[in-house]
Amino acid sequence: PRLPEDLVNIDEQVEIKKKKRAPIPKLDEIRLTSAAGIPTLQRISKSRIKFRGKGHEFSDVALLLGTYQLWLHELYPRAKFHDGLAIIEKLGHKKNVQRLRSDWINESKSSANLGSDSN
Amino acid sequence: IEEFFEKRETVDPEVRAYVGSLVTAVGGTSIEQHGRYVLGDDVIGCLKDLRRWIKFYDEKLGRLDVQRVLAESNFVKGDILEILADWPEDGKDNKLRSKIALLCLELLVPLTWTLEVEDHEFTAHHHKHLPYLRLAQVGYKRAILQHDSKKILRQLVRIALPAMAEPKNDRSIRDDGIIRLVLYAIRNVVMITQPADLPADVDEIEISRSKTIDAFYYQDILQLLLTVASSMGDEFTIQDVVLLEALFHLLKGIDPTRLFMKEDELIQTNTQELKELMRKEKAMHAGYARYAPTRHNRFGTMLWLTRDQERVSTISGQSAISGPAKGLQYLDKSKKWNKPKTGGRKANEDKGSFEFDMEVPVSSSARRHLRKFVEDFLDSAFNPLFTHLRRSIERELDRVLEMHKMQYFYLVSWFLQAESSRRQHMKQSAAAKGKQKAGQQPEEEGFGIIAGVMNKETFVLLNRFMQTSYDSKDWHYVNSGMKCFTQILLTVQQMEESNNEEDQEIADNIQNNLFYEEGTHTRVIDLLRNYKDQGRGYLNAVTELAHVFIRMLERYAKQNTDMQIRSRRRTRKKKQAAQDTDTTAPTNGDDASGPEDVGRIEIISRERKFDFARFSAKFMQQGCVDTFVEFTKFYRDLSVDQLKRAHRFFHRVAFKAELSTLLFRVDIVQLFQNMIKGEACIDHDLSCFKEWEELVRQLFKRMIKRVQEHPELMVEMLFSKIPSSMFYLEHGFDKEVNKSA
Repeated sequence: PRLPEDLVNIDEQVEIKKKKRAPIPKLDEIRLTSAAGIPTLQRISKSRIKFRGKGHEFSDVALLLGTYQLWLHELYPRAKFHDGLAIIEKLGHKKNVQRLRSDWINESKSSANLGSDSN
Repeated sequence: IEEFFEKRETVDPEVRAYVGSLVTAVGGTSIEQHGRYVLGDDVIGCLKDLRRWIKFYDEKLGRLDVQRVLAESNFVKGDILEILADWPEDGKDNKLRSKIALLCLELLVPLTWTLEVEDHEFTAHHHKHLPYLRLAQVGYKRAILQHDSKKILRQLVRIALPAMAEPKNDRSIRDDGIIRLVLYAIRNVVMITQPADLPADVDEIEISRSKTIDAFYYQDILQLLLTVASSMGDEFTIQDVVLLEALFHLLKGIDPTRLFMKEDELIQTNTQELKELMRKEKAMHAGYARYAPTRHNRFGTMLWLTRDQERVSTISGQSAISGPAKGLQYLDKSKKWNKPKTGGRKANEDKGSFEFDMEVPVSSSARRHLRKFVEDFLDSAFNPLFTHLRRSIERELDRVLEMHKMQYFYLVSWFLQAESSRRQHMKQSAAAKGKQKAGQQPEEEGFGIIAGVMNKETFVLLNRFMQTSYDSKDWHYVNSGMKCFTQILLTVQQMEESNNEEDQEIADNIQNNLFYEEGTHTRVIDLLRNYKDQGRGYLNAVTELAHVFIRMLERYAKQNTDMQIRSRRRTRKKKQAAQDTDTTAPTNGDDASGPEDVGRIEIISRERKFDFARFSAKFMQQGCVDTFVEFTKFYRDLSVDQLKRAHRFFHRVAFKAELSTLLFRVDIVQLFQNMIKGEACIDHDLSCFKEWEELVRQLFKRMIKRVQEHPELMVEMLFSKIPSSMFYLEHGFDKEVNKSA
């Protein structure tokens, strides 16, 4: 018995569809400067942190580190703390991030000046 | 049969047949003469043939087939060593036997020659035989070191004795060659080690450095090395680099400071170290036990960590109960992703037999023999050998390779360190005796015995070597250069402290020489600043160099307030400079020196007053701080001295230079916090713990205060600081100069 025709027919091309991988989110300057990034950190630093001051240096620093860690976890949950810090530190060398950084400093400078004037 | 086929595939069968028959014809043990070795009828012809085979088949064709066959047929142990052992002592004028012995030596040297994996000329043939041959060489070494009836190494030396007895001018080229051959054999024996990537066939201790040193002592090889070294320049000339290699491989990695400790003292330090380690281990367990679960592992605690905006994270495990810090640590630990590391470290660290940063332990008998050798060497051979070597290097002779320079500087640093620890121990024992005898100031020895390397020529050579190897990124070489420079500095310091006026004067002169060139200063800074993945030995060397250099320079500049330095800098002619400032920003103008500008640039050198504050300010930059942070990251493995080194640097940065802002970066803060309060903190009983705690506390105090006053620092703490905003962050206001400009 012969094989049926339709089984032997292999001329027809089978199209292979490549599935695109879902892109892995990156911790880049866009994410860093987005609302969840630096602006949130600025907000936290102004409002939320309460230090206990003299004599409690180490617990204060622990608090500070905890704040950073939680902020980083919100921003980019994928990375461990020190990995995330290393990535951000590297981003800080980019031209536009540097510009933003000096802008932030100048902003607070001028606001500090205003504050002292009003006093 | 299977084995037969395997063998057939590795080596050309014809070669195997030829070489095999030659090996059999060399000789063998005789039953009639109670197992004595009997030479074959045409032993000289056979040995010569084998030499030819190695030369014209192995070397010319780029193969290792003959060596492989010789290794498989137990030629070295069964024939060569037997022939050498059988060479009778009284038969000095037995021409035939000494000729055979020489032939054996000529075969032994290529067979024990090191096979480096990284050799670029290696072909597939080489790599096929390499593992087998490297293991075979280990066997050779063991057989040579512990032959049961005769002292093989001594027999080898006997071959060269007639040539060595000849006065230098009467010696023929052949005689010189024989001496060199013996030295090469010695070097090869030292150099062979158990390859770390291959399984050990024999007990590693049998071929360890200690055993080698012991064997060298008992067979008078150390004496030979000493003789050749002390008459270097008079009696011997072309053997210098071979001797250098032999010494390098004999001494590398051995801690010279331990060599001169007394037996009980050494035992004491060893016990101390063991105690230290046990305490460390205990502390480690305690650190874990503090947060260890108190119930069984299926107890199933689950926690919520509340964050802002009413969001929570869940954490499981009981130890997270102990506090938010621990909880956060759990959160971190559960993350799967790791930042990919940039490669390249491996390539820099793995240099096979040239590695000298790995410490080699020596047994007490070997230590005793080696100490005697080093003392004699320093007293009689150090100056002649190292002066001669320096001249050979300066003349760039063909026999001097780049590698030899590295070995030269490593050995200089090694012997300087040995000399200083010997001096220290002599002082101590003199002081102990002085107590008994009361009074009597012991007479101090001068520094004449190391004068051969404490001169301007050596410094020039060292500077050039460090610069060239730095430029060509040979970090291993830079490392040895830095070690040498550090030791020279330390020796100068000791000379200055001695109560001999002449020595003090010399030390002063040397310091003048060392500190006069601004190039030296900038090089130290550059080395420190540009550390990246060169390995831990390098990291240790570079931080030590910086530490020693800064401290000595500081002292020297204080004593000599009118100190001058010579700086060379490239400047354009005034016209050009004027144009530049008109058109472009001055900073850009300096950097951009295109090829068309070169003609207009001239190097001028001028003297100016040295300003220590300005010099040390150059160390206060991110690159240098990062290197020291990288170094401090190993705080759990660092010794007290090393921890102190890092402490002094950070103290200098934060409080002497008022630049604590440089240290306000989250990763650095985290490191410091871990060192003092973390689970794996520095041992609280260590002497330097208090200092560190105080430093970190002061630093944190400043930081908290600064953050409260200027919340913008919170953002800046994520990054390395920009130079332009540094001053504002440190002081809270802008520089006056900036405002007026």
